Amino acid sequence: MNRLLAEARKIADQAELYWERVKTIDVLYRDYNLDRVSLTDLSSVSLRAIVDGRLGVSFGVSPNRQELVREAAAAAAHGGSAGFDFAPSADYPQVRNASDATDGQTAAELIDVCERIKERVQRERPDISLMISAHTQVRTLDVGTTCGAEASHRATASSVGFGAPIKGAGTGIYKSASSVDPIHDLEPLIEEFLEWYGWTEEASAPRTGRMPVLLAPEAAFLFALPLCAGISGAAVARKTSPIFDRVDEPIIGDGLTVRDEPLRDGDPASRPFDDEGVPCSPRCLVERGVLRGLLVDQYAGAKLGAASTGNGYKRELFRSGTEVPIHTWPTHLTIDAGTRSFRDMLTEMEEGILLIGGMGFHSGNYPQGQFAVQGIGFHVVRGRVVGRLERTMVAGNIYQDFLDADVSEERREVDSLGGPILTPYLRVDGLQVAGASA
Amino acid sequence: MDADYADVRYEDNQKTAIRYEGPDLRQIATYSTSGGHVRAYARGGKALGSFSHLEDGEEIARQTSAAAGQAAQRRDRKLRLAEAPALTDEFPVEPEHDPRTVSLADKHALVEHYNRMILKAPGVATTICEYDEFSSRRVFVNTEGTAIAYDLLIVNIAGLIVVRGGGVVQQVRFAFGGSDEFGRVLDRDDDLQDRIATACRLLTAQPARAGVFPVVLDPDEAGVFIHEAFGHLSEADGLQGNPSFREKLALDRELGREILNVSDDPSLLGQPGGYMVDDEGVLGVKTSLIRHGRLSGRLHSRETAAEFGEPLSGNMRAVDHQFTPIVRMSNILIESGDSTFDDMVASIEDGYYLVGARGGQTSGDQFSFGAQWGYRIEGGRLGPMVRDINMSGELFSTLQAISMIGDDVTFGERGGCGKGGGGPMQLNRKSGKGAPHIKIDHVTVGGAS
Repeated sequence: MNRLLAEARKIADQAELYWERVKTIDVLYRDYNLDRVSLTDLSSVSLRAIVDGRLGVSFGVSPNRQELVREAAAAAAHGGSAGFDFAPSADYPQVRNASDATDGQTAAELIDVCERIKERVQRERPDISLMISAHTQVRTLDVGTTCGAEASHRATASSVGFGAPIKGAGTGIYKSASSVDPIHDLEPLIEEFLEWYGWTEEASAPRTGRMPVLLAPEAAFLFALPLCAGISGAAVARKTSPIFDRVDEPIIGDGLTVRDEPLRDGDPASRPFDDEGVPCSPRCLVERGVLRGLLVDQYAGAKLGAASTGNGYKRELFRSGTEVPIHTWPTHLTIDAGTRSFRDMLTEMEEGILLIGGMGFHSGNYPQGQFAVQGIGFHVVRGRVVGRLERTMVAGNIYQDFLDADVSEERREVDSLGGPILTPYLRVDGLQVAGASA
Repeated sequence: MDADYADVRYEDNQKTAIRYEGPDLRQIATYSTSGGHVRAYARGGKALGSFSHLEDGEEIARQTSAAAGQAAQRRDRKLRLAEAPALTDEFPVEPEHDPRTVSLADKHALVEHYNRMILKAPGVATTICEYDEFSSRRVFVNTEGTAIAYDLLIVNIAGLIVVRGGGVVQQVRFAFGGSDEFGRVLDRDDDLQDRIATACRLLTAQPARAGVFPVVLDPDEAGVFIHEAFGHLSEADGLQGNPSFREKLALDRELGREILNVSDDPSLLGQPGGYMVDDEGVLGVKTSLIRHGRLSGRLHSRETAAEFGEPLSGNMRAVDHQFTPIVRMSNILIESGDSTFDDMVASIEDGYYLVGARGGQTSGDQFSFGAQWGYRIEGGRLGPMVRDINMSGELFSTLQAISMIGDDVTFGERGGCGKGGGGPMQLNRKSGKGAPHIKIDHVTVGGAS
């Protein structure tokens, strides 16, 4: 790695090397049967070079490939003005997110985890087509720059997911959990799965109109992703964000506090530095509805005249990885819990929706705070779930419709479209619902 | 190797990416990556392995083979592969104007030209303008004697026109190319100007009303509809492990009216989803999926073809060596009908004409997708422009509700499809969608809040 940077220094003003190695084992069951075992041992690198102030990038699989330097320099010859420097040396915070137990997990152990879930669920629901997946990963990331940054991090992750398509319907009920350490206690998740699945027996269409909606953690991305697009430093710099001039002003309801918490021990999403080698730190983004902070990477920082907040990641809506360009993204978004239970919030609904997912999110104008999705979830009447949603669209705008949002005392971490979110249930008084009975 | 069957795919991939965001050239990059993927079947179990370094291939193959045996012990239904002829051949891609021979400077100049055109227009707030070229040289061998080398190549210029005015921000997409011919991304100024003008008109459009309406879909929107709503359900791996759906989708089931014909055709090499051979060493062939309204075929891997007892179709494809091949559409197509666009509009009293795909998603028989813009239809005439349109529905009733099919089949110039197939999401550039205008009698439209 250092040798490549030394080579780059000969022809570039500055260079940055990103090198990721990932080893994984995956086990997948379909319809209570082991479908496949998958193994990967992958390496990938990207080299960004600034030559005469212009930025170019090259990609490969190994830092030993000397052509990377020539290719990055050739790209830089046609590149745009970088406008920023690569990360300097820094003291990186400590975070515990590697486990030797996870590192040593074998396919046989993952199969055992899946078998335990299979036996538990099959006892109560032999009639469904259960899918189970178990995954273990060891990821090593190095980011080095000719400006002095030398960041290295090893993380492990163990995750389990399971679910089943709803009989007679197109959607399904799915649950997942992840941890730095091997996962043992899945009983609460299994119990919730069985309860939710039990609610799917009947279909029920709400009326068309505005009504209360309770977003389960699995549906919280409908709020979180438009918000992240709005507080992206790049969108603010371009003034395409609808809240580009609203720092220290209320943007959503005072029941909502949103943070970026990159340093939680034991959490696989935690990171001491971002993908540009900038140290991460915990930050409050929205405090009781008031916008307090933006997500800033090196590029946005240069545009805004501010420092990077350690939020430059090779991540976008549906993918992440070495080949994805840097975008602003939270390391680990969290939403503060409230004081009321999810059950109380549910039973108080006269007519409403418990949303556990939404299809077609990316088709909407979410950078402007809008979403319009086919709702996956349940119809609630007089505080009771009366059936699963069918042919129901739910639309809203987080800056208009989340002014009265309330949050539950329970929180759960879910893998969302763009990364992990630790979130409570979110209750909104009125979203636009178009039911099949319209 | 302790396997009944094994195959290895090794590939060298080259990519060029140029991306403008507003006036800023955010990325100009070249990619040169390589790696391999192994599949092993042993005693009815299956395992997969991916590696980056050729020297690791042998060890991954050994581990994969052992894992396949381990997997077999936990299956009560043994996996099998349909018989496929052993191929020994080369399948090169040889376009007339090969993008791989064009200099990086010329590619950059072209993208910069289009991006400047957009930025010059009044009302434009920002842009995304991207050049994306992907080429892959792949070698595939299996234990049955297949040994082939084949190429994939696709080039696109695509992006977003973002306009702002009167407190409204709207965006319209554009895409040129979608094949291996560089010529298709050249000289597209007029097309781009049309899109810019449309984007600007959207600023004064009203949001669509929520409710259930009859709609006319333009070919782009109809192509995404058939891809999302029906196409994914024709991929047989999605039906594995889902007995209730498999029952619903028995061959010869009536899905639509007599006028509805749908096919998948990888042999349309000039369209985004064209290819000659898949990533399982099977030749790509045209498959009739719906004939005169009845389900007539399905897209298969060797594994699903054996399980379903249906013919091979050559639809197993992987984005790159990090992924195992999964069953994917190539170029899905609603075949031409005999209605005209004017007839469709005239038949609607109160509805919408929806234009330009803005992505979609499907889960089982439920679908949801967006339109970039649209028009009210009132009293059989096109009315004012509308914005913020998403629609959703259920496949079976919606297919039955297709009541008119136009005679103006057009393919979208940008492919693209995301699918997990039980593993990580694979975003496939080489996926084409074609259709004429169609009329659907009732669709749930979710307007703005």
